[in-house]
Amino acid sequence: MRLVEIEDLVVSFRQFEGLVQAVRGVSFDLQSGESLGIVGESGSGKSVTCSALLRLLREPPATITAKKLVLGGQDMLRADKRALASIRGRVAAMVFQDPMTSLDPVFTIGHQIVETIVAHKRASKKEALARAIALLKRVEIKNAEAVVRYYPHQLSGGMLQRVMIAMALSCEPAVLVADEPTTALDVTIQAQILQLIKDIQAETGMGLIMITHDLGVIAETVDRVVVMYGGRVMETGPVEAIFAAPLHPYTRALLASIPGQQPGKQRLTEIPGSSPNPANPPSGCPFHPRCPIAEDACRVTTPLLETKATGRAAACIRVPAERVAA
Amino acid sequence: MLQFIIRRTLSMLVTFFVVSIIIFMMMHAIPGGPFDGNDMPLPDNIRARLMAQLGLDKPLWEQYLRYMWGVFHLDFGVPYQSPGETVMGLIAHAWVPSLVLGGLGVLIGAPIGILLGMAAALNRNSWIDYLASAIATLGLTIPVFVISTLLILVFAVWLHWTPASGWGEPRRWILPIMAYAAVPMATYARYARSAMLDTLNKPFVTVLRAKGLSERRIIFQHVLRNSAIPMITIFLPMFVGIATGSIFVEAIFRVPGLGAYFVSSIQKRDYPLEMALMLLISALFCISYLISDVLYALLNPRIRLGGKGR
Repeated sequence: MRLVEIEDLVVSFRQFEGLVQAVRGVSFDLQSGESLGIVGESGSGKSVTCSALLRLLREPPATITAKKLVLGGQDMLRADKRALASIRGRVAAMVFQDPMTSLDPVFTIGHQIVETIVAHKRASKKEALARAIALLKRVEIKNAEAVVRYYPHQLSGGMLQRVMIAMALSCEPAVLVADEPTTALDVTIQAQILQLIKDIQAETGMGLIMITHDLGVIAETVDRVVVMYGGRVMETGPVEAIFAAPLHPYTRALLASIPGQQPGKQRLTEIPGSSPNPANPPSGCPFHPRCPIAEDACRVTTPLLETKATGRAAACIRVPAERVAA
Repeated sequence: MLQFIIRRTLSMLVTFFVVSIIIFMMMHAIPGGPFDGNDMPLPDNIRARLMAQLGLDKPLWEQYLRYMWGVFHLDFGVPYQSPGETVMGLIAHAWVPSLVLGGLGVLIGAPIGILLGMAAALNRNSWIDYLASAIATLGLTIPVFVISTLLILVFAVWLHWTPASGWGEPRRWILPIMAYAAVPMATYARYARSAMLDTLNKPFVTVLRAKGLSERRIIFQHVLRNSAIPMITIFLPMFVGIATGSIFVEAIFRVPGLGAYFVSSIQKRDYPLEMALMLLISALFCISYLISDVLYALLNPRIRLGGKGR
């Protein structure tokens, strides 16, 4: 069953410079139980895409258009406030980048988990609290009975992200959207949190969308990858195939810039240039100013996301379909 | 917490003494004395006797010590301009109208301002927001004597709804209360708007939406509670500032309040009254800030509980 269907999503923001398109025609979907990684630099539109899916952006200044924006069978573009509130947290739950600012500082951890449960389920406060404690135990928080009475400032970042995960799981969502869930955490904690998300996904069979700029995170946690750049999808395919043989020159450059691949090499590999200004994007392919194999046509035509091999697609006119198929 | 209160109380006492010294020095730095009036000149020998009687011939430091010794025994002396009563007695009866009218002004103005600011924040960049901002800006920028005069013109002269001035039966209170309410209303409208917007832009509000809570619950439980913390802390100092009377409002509405004495005591070099009024104001401000700080700590779990339990 398709949990998420996004087709030709465009998100623009009204700003002083005029209309800025942060997402320019993104399409992908997510099957139930599948885990999808969305990878890209900051400003590539990956977070905006997922916020738009849950309709979390303030509209205006944001404007969302799409041929299809479906979450759990519900047309998110047509959903009213009530319908949105009922979908959020129940059909799709979200874990955010910075756990330190994600919780209301004046309410206890327990209160904030309980209010989520009570909003979606027929449960008394007492039942909800018992469930909150069980969830905190599931995310490996010791003395969960005491932690429900804590305020957010009394816990560390890693602990708070566990709380956020517990809260996201509290209504058994069909999809978990994790927006850079480890970026704000210490490196030692990052692996634990990723493992936790992976374990819970395996256990519950929920769908997972993992947004990250960290290819290491992608490699460890997801089945399929969407590579975004300049508000567009550059490439999509199974994670092993993309890591083994990237199709798009941008994906190739991104993989080459992972440090520590060649032992003894001093200088880090980088992609020359900088990511496009969404207020003034380049013509044609958004990557052409930085692309090593760009030709004249790349400056003019915007490449479409085309299937280049089974289960693999790339938006690049320089990547022939046959080359991979053979 | 107890340690915090004790520390703050001690520093408050120090502040109080420093303030008393500064006021005392500034008061005597103004040239002239209480019996230098030109309309009724006194012979030199009588003036000298009066000065000696009141201890004004002594060195300044001795005068100060004598005065503070009296203050310790709650004896604030006798006002020169009304020798038939004590300073304490004069302040006690003159304060009542100021406290009633100013106090009601704050109690009515502040909630209206909060509602206005909330409506503005929740409808940002709409006509409601612009209207609220206009009202708030006008309330803060139009001087209170202009507001008072306009109120009299509209409600008393044109509409004949209320008496133009006075103290006495509560019908006469309406206009001065409205005049007093303008500043707290405007201040709170601006404060509530910015506090609400500040909270609405916090990441946790997006998280609350992503959890599927209703907008009403998010606003009235989470946003309001977070915004209330800074709003509560300005209430008491504002109350002190307004409920001690305004010379303009009281002069225009002919209210026999405390406000006029702030000016007359300085003009007439009425040292005991001037000193008592200034000390009263400083003490009230010190105490109101202390209570505000304690309230702030009590409402904010980050301060109430410190980092304990991590």
